[in-house]
Amino acid sequence: MSRDRLSPLERLAAYVRGQPIDRLPCVPIVGNTAARLVGAKVSAFRGNGRLLANAHVAAYRRFGYDNIRIFTDLYTLAEAMGAQVHYPDDETAYLAAPALTTTEQIASLRSIDPAKDGNLPHHLEAMEIAFKAVGHEVPVTGALTGPFTTASFLIGADNLARLMLRDPAAVHRLVEIAFVNTLAYARAILATGASPSLTDAMCSSTVISPRQFREFGAPYLRRLVDFLHSQKRSVTLHICGKTHPIWTDMADTGADCLSLDNAAALADAKSAIGHRVRLMGNVPPSEIMLQGTPAQVRESVFTTVRAAADNPRGLVVASGCSLPVETPFANIDAMLDAVRELGWPVNSTALQSAN
Amino acid sequence: MSHEVLFQALSDSVVGMDEESTRTHSNQAIADGVDPVAAIENGLVDGMNRAGTLFETEEYFIPELLLCSDAMYTGLDILRPHIRRDSAEARKKIVIGVVEGDTHDIGKNLVKIMLEAAGFEIIDLGRDIAPQRFVDEAIKSGASVIALSTLMTTTMDAMGEVVRLLQQAGVRDRVKVIVGGGPISSGFAKRIGADGYSGSAPAAVKLVQQLLSGVAA
Repeated sequence: MSRDRLSPLERLAAYVRGQPIDRLPCVPIVGNTAARLVGAKVSAFRGNGRLLANAHVAAYRRFGYDNIRIFTDLYTLAEAMGAQVHYPDDETAYLAAPALTTTEQIASLRSIDPAKDGNLPHHLEAMEIAFKAVGHEVPVTGALTGPFTTASFLIGADNLARLMLRDPAAVHRLVEIAFVNTLAYARAILATGASPSLTDAMCSSTVISPRQFREFGAPYLRRLVDFLHSQKRSVTLHICGKTHPIWTDMADTGADCLSLDNAAALADAKSAIGHRVRLMGNVPPSEIMLQGTPAQVRESVFTTVRAAADNPRGLVVASGCSLPVETPFANIDAMLDAVRELGWPVNSTALQSAN
Repeated sequence: MSHEVLFQALSDSVVGMDEESTRTHSNQAIADGVDPVAAIENGLVDGMNRAGTLFETEEYFIPELLLCSDAMYTGLDILRPHIRRDSAEARKKIVIGVVEGDTHDIGKNLVKIMLEAAGFEIIDLGRDIAPQRFVDEAIKSGASVIALSTLMTTTMDAMGEVVRLLQQAGVRDRVKVIVGGGPISSGFAKRIGADGYSGSAPAAVKLVQQLLSGVAA
């Protein structure tokens, strides 16, 4: 990456050690937008690990951001466990039907074989190819959906919501099975050279209560983080939507970096947990990255930097969530350009003048 | 049991997520000859409104709201058949659904529950609904409002399409369009020419009431 003095791996390593860097790490969370780099339809990623890898490597080379995340949708693990997923021609997949309808069926859920089931082998192939291609210069990660969220895809979100209050023991049985399979997939991801990147969308306080997160979400996340730490991997945990009531609990999972959505105020997160975790966020993916202008992207990056560049454990300038597929390339460029313009230490004159 | 005490018990049963107690007290209301409309409004709906307030203040979350609505519907199923036709006011109709390409319907379901509790008649088209169907159903049913939901950025354009189709059909002035969902903002609502945006289910009720009473939202 000739635009930057350091490679992403060099930059992150130096940043974590408190050594000088060229600019803040920056991750526009590119998901299926990667298809647009190789002129492919989103559905072409299904069953084609090589294309998925090529697209993500092409996107990384095009934009020069600091993390590759192999991701197509949140359902890969649930699908491998029996959930029905619909793949539109050129849009992100969605859940067509959960794997189960009753709690009696929980015991019949199968243990996955990551080398065989659903789309997992293709995702693993993509991670392996991407890691071989650019893993020496940029972190290559594979999206890993958290056990609680996978559980909600296995039995249906409404159903799970009711069960948490009506039959908590059944929920624990289900999340435990999801956890065992998550762990199996995490091991397979590690074997490719890539690192799992955790997302547990349904744990959001927009959906469930903090108490429910502490009971049904956090304990399983903590076990995953413990495992990944035992494998010497740093862990980023993403939860969408409102998270302020659970920031401390998210930090308590042991995650090294929390990726927060634009529904969360980064300055407040910094005060609450910034001494414990690196923060990642939170340029609005829809309002700014998809619908905004490059000038608005720049302004939004500056706002993010003003809010949290002085976070004790550091800041990764990122989108609040995965970017919508049709996010203009110009806006992704603008995000990186804004971070380059500010440099490191952050150019406070530039930051002020944009006020 | 006086009517007021019965209403309070119904309200408490709903807000307490207690289907059994809602059933018992609804049956008692019928046995005591209580006006079912009053039992619904002062009991079930009052409980659902309290649940909505608890949701807004983040004491209740989606799971609690769903269980409250289960209790409310249990009561409605018992009480509604006893409403005398001539005392039943014509309720304003709302067509609701998740736009084409999206199947996330928890948000839509919550809005539906709160609007139903507020006394509107809801025509729920479900999820993954083409723009034309919203318009056709609104015209067919004489609905005053179309409520559109999506969680996905890829499907947002379909909301603008509904507004355009209403214009083409010449009925835009008769039907209010409200939008909501994760990636939606009030700025987006304005841009596509919708009449309003709501960020939560309880707020959607206030929005609809404002729009239909002619007060600028």
